[in-house]
Amino acid sequence: MLSYLFDGTFEGLLTCIHEAYYRHETPDHIIWGDQLQENLLTCCAQIPTDNGKADKVLHSIRAKISADALEHAFHAYLSEINDIGVWIYRYLRLGWKVGPSVDRYLCEDEVSAVHEAGRKVEWESHKMLGLIRFRELEGGIFYAPIGPDHNIVSLVAPHFAERLSDQTWMIHDVKRDIAAVYNKTDWTIAVIRQKKALPLHGDELEFQRLWKQYFKSIAIRSRRNPGLQRQYMPSRYWRYLVEKN
Amino acid sequence: MELKDKVDILAAAAKYDVSCSSSGSSRMGEKGGLGNAHPAGICHSWSDDGRCISLLKILLTNQCIYDCKYCVNRASNDTPRVMLTPDELSSLTINFYRRNYIEGLFLSSGVVKSPDYTMERMIEAVKKLRQEYRFHGYIHLKAIPGCDRRLLVEAGMLVDRMSVNIEMPTGESLKLLAPQKKKEALIGPMRFIKDRIAEERDSYKTLRNTPKFIPAGQTTQMIVGASPENDLRILTLSEGLYRSFRMKRVYYSAFMPVVSHPMLPAVDKPPLLREHRLYQADWLLRFYGFSTGELLDPDHPNLDFLVDPKSDWAVRNYHLFPVEINTVDYEMLLRIPGIGVKSAEKIVQARRVRTLDDDNLKKIGVVWKRARHFITCQGRFYGDSFRQEDQLKQELMPYHTAKKLRTDGGEQLSFFHEILPQSDLQNLFLVKAGEI
Repeated sequence: MLSYLFDGTFEGLLTCIHEAYYRHETPDHIIWGDQLQENLLTCCAQIPTDNGKADKVLHSIRAKISADALEHAFHAYLSEINDIGVWIYRYLRLGWKVGPSVDRYLCEDEVSAVHEAGRKVEWESHKMLGLIRFRELEGGIFYAPIGPDHNIVSLVAPHFAERLSDQTWMIHDVKRDIAAVYNKTDWTIAVIRQKKALPLHGDELEFQRLWKQYFKSIAIRSRRNPGLQRQYMPSRYWRYLVEKN
Repeated sequence: MELKDKVDILAAAAKYDVSCSSSGSSRMGEKGGLGNAHPAGICHSWSDDGRCISLLKILLTNQCIYDCKYCVNRASNDTPRVMLTPDELSSLTINFYRRNYIEGLFLSSGVVKSPDYTMERMIEAVKKLRQEYRFHGYIHLKAIPGCDRRLLVEAGMLVDRMSVNIEMPTGESLKLLAPQKKKEALIGPMRFIKDRIAEERDSYKTLRNTPKFIPAGQTTQMIVGASPENDLRILTLSEGLYRSFRMKRVYYSAFMPVVSHPMLPAVDKPPLLREHRLYQADWLLRFYGFSTGELLDPDHPNLDFLVDPKSDWAVRNYHLFPVEINTVDYEMLLRIPGIGVKSAEKIVQARRVRTLDDDNLKKIGVVWKRARHFITCQGRFYGDSFRQEDQLKQELMPYHTAKKLRTDGGEQLSFFHEILPQSDLQNLFLVKAGEI
């Protein structure tokens, strides 16, 4: 068994792909930090991230496969699903062989695995565009904690930068200790280890009350259907929803 | 009165309006302003009835001079009456929007004093949002039947979508249940809006930066089950509305017994399953290339409760099947039970690089249990043979329905409807009546 170990960044993953390709190896796992389970049978190769190599791979995907394929690979990487690294490597190998038509090979395992992972990420990030809830803090910052299955903060941030362009906001992925932070001009990703509850703005609770009232009043009682509600809005997302607490 | 109580009354009074979608507009934001529209629309929450909440759906007031029999806000109903001020409405919309609770506003209203007066108050509120608060989020405005055309034009330049509810499937039912609303007063504004949108579209060609007139188009809604029309009548009407009025959506609302009245049917539950079937058929008209005439005819004027309309069509047209999955065209792919728009598109893509077999189809996401009776893969047929239509039909039913039928009625499938009253069937189905 051969495992590649990288630092968890997309550049790191691309470096692994570069190494595997030129070493003529097919690793069984391409993993990072917390996915590592030491095993006597596992032979681990630490792959240091090399931006030059990563860049080469990136350009080659764009030029020899397609921009769509790069997007599929990137979204699949954000899924953080077990072993997705190897699937991405195999998907790109096929891509370099058959070119831009790789996304038509829907019956090949590597293509369906990458598409499936990407689809999950896209589904969740679209859901989050609706389910993120901001709370106004003292000082006028709008703060939204989330706990998504996949690493989608960087996918939802541009939407809010455009929409809420005149307010400072922060979308905090509590699971991953990262946040998208926006200062009325640009957004960036920052590492945040805030665990304490933050003091709310004076008006905040009043608007939460109004929203909860609205949420209750808009439901038609004779059509109650909690199963359908959960189907669209899985209960794992309820923790940070104002109307569900 | 507190704002919270007003929200309670005016949201509860607006909840029977079905439309909630926020799609079809790509209104851009502005630096320093607030909001934009997302072309695909975004759902922000789902209420306890499983319907999506996208817009702040609320009435400006629940006062009304009309006395439509089916409506909670009718003049003769003894209920507290309130009205929102433009400032209260703006504050609610803006503050909900900044917290990402909503995608925008859906403003409707009871009719106060006159249609013109009401429409003017609604425009005033919307104008405040757009101009004073520089709000560029989605706004859906209900047009008040009978208001002046000038007001429709003014409103249309401010909002993303407008709708006039057609209320009842026929003029006779309308006369009976909403005697103060005239069919012409409902159809008139629809035609006017359609013509005006077409006119504006022509002028875009020469003038680039004109503000758009109702960029997300118009929709309408009708109540199902309060009047005796059959499904054929309803779907024919919808088809006409899509074709000649360029409606973006026709919504169906299962009749809710919110009030009892000698002229209204006595029902203990809204006909949710019928509503669900109508939506399925509506989807077939809009995305699957079906026409009403193929789904229903005078000998068969209602949609089947036991199977979905596409399966029902396939059973009645079994002589057209099986089709070869590797060669059949896209239009026919869409008509195979167990294959939807997504899997049809995937099949078209995948078969350009290889010949497909049964395993490939399962991987692509085809519902094999249903599709196998209607297709061949490289000439091979995987389905069962059926001696009777009803056997095939049973195969296509949801598992629980088929099971219940077997235990209750043995093999006597032709007695379906006698065995199971409609309300029973309704309980059997997990009714998926949420809005998109």
